[in-house]
Amino acid sequence: MMDIVDKIKGIEGVKVTVQRENRIFVDVSEDKVISTLYNMKLIGFHQLSVQNVIDRIKDNKFEIFYVLYSREYKINAIVRTWIDRENPVIKTADKIYPSAHTWEREISEMFGIKVDGNEDSGKPFILENWKDLPPMRKDFDSVKYSSEHFVFRHSEGENE
Amino acid sequence: MEKMTEEQVKSIANMLRKRSLWMIHYCTGCGAMELPPTMTSRYDMERFGLAPYVTSRQADILLITGYLNVKTLRRVITVYEQMLDPKYVIGFGSCTLNGGVYWDSYAVIKQLDRYIPADLYIAGCMPRPEAVISAFRHLMELIDSGKADGYKRYKRNLAYYKENQRKVLG
Repeated sequence: MMDIVDKIKGIEGVKVTVQRENRIFVDVSEDKVISTLYNMKLIGFHQLSVQNVIDRIKDNKFEIFYVLYSREYKINAIVRTWIDRENPVIKTADKIYPSAHTWEREISEMFGIKVDGNEDSGKPFILENWKDLPPMRKDFDSVKYSSEHFVFRHSEGENE
Repeated sequence: MEKMTEEQVKSIANMLRKRSLWMIHYCTGCGAMELPPTMTSRYDMERFGLAPYVTSRQADILLITGYLNVKTLRRVITVYEQMLDPKYVIGFGSCTLNGGVYWDSYAVIKQLDRYIPADLYIAGCMPRPEAVISAFRHLMELIDSGKADGYKRYKRNLAYYKENQRKVLG
């Protein structure tokens, strides 16, 4: 375990936190994500389990994270980075992890994040005829959207 | 021998019809879990003449389990329109009834009967196989008495249903 942590610490510009046995957080700045992922793959993290986004609306940031797994060492490593909420753009990781291609397509639809280098980002993926804010953003009002588009059923005797 | 009236022919047809119902189940949500015990030896719905079926063209009942969202509603309508008359729709679980726990979701449509005519609802989350069997028995009574006329209502009020469908599907 610790020799892997030392190897990861050798990558330029990373902040490594060992959360518990077999789980490591690797925080990097926005511009070093792709090179970090490349180096992580060289170390032995061959599998991208999940790539997703958390909307940190209080800090006005999007947290992008890549959950990597190594079958060899049985370790999860989570690479995290933060980008601004205004005009969010990330670079594609699909040259390193091919499965990132589909994750990025979902991210770009659900959060409205543009993915540079991924020609499928921005194409419709799950939603149909979507014209509102991307639905996974925290400032998207789900109840309001739902009550505008779909009709509630009121049972008999209920006050409207 | 006296000639039978049209009423009598219809009532005999309905009596026979209710004894042999084939069901296509459109399982979008968690409700599909309750159907294997309903179909297999534990509750054995085949003793009522009900059988699960795989294609929409041969099925009589469309059982819709779980929530429906904009994407799956489009497929449900296709399946429903492929089915031949007479056809019956059962909404299974509270999600088809009023949205259930997904009432505030951005994608879930809340009332099935605004888009296709539902003959029967099974309330609950989840309805147990006993409730499913009881709903089938009730549907049989409705067919016998000629009250299960959802497919006729769909033809009669096609403009209303199509307008509602267009509103959510675009």
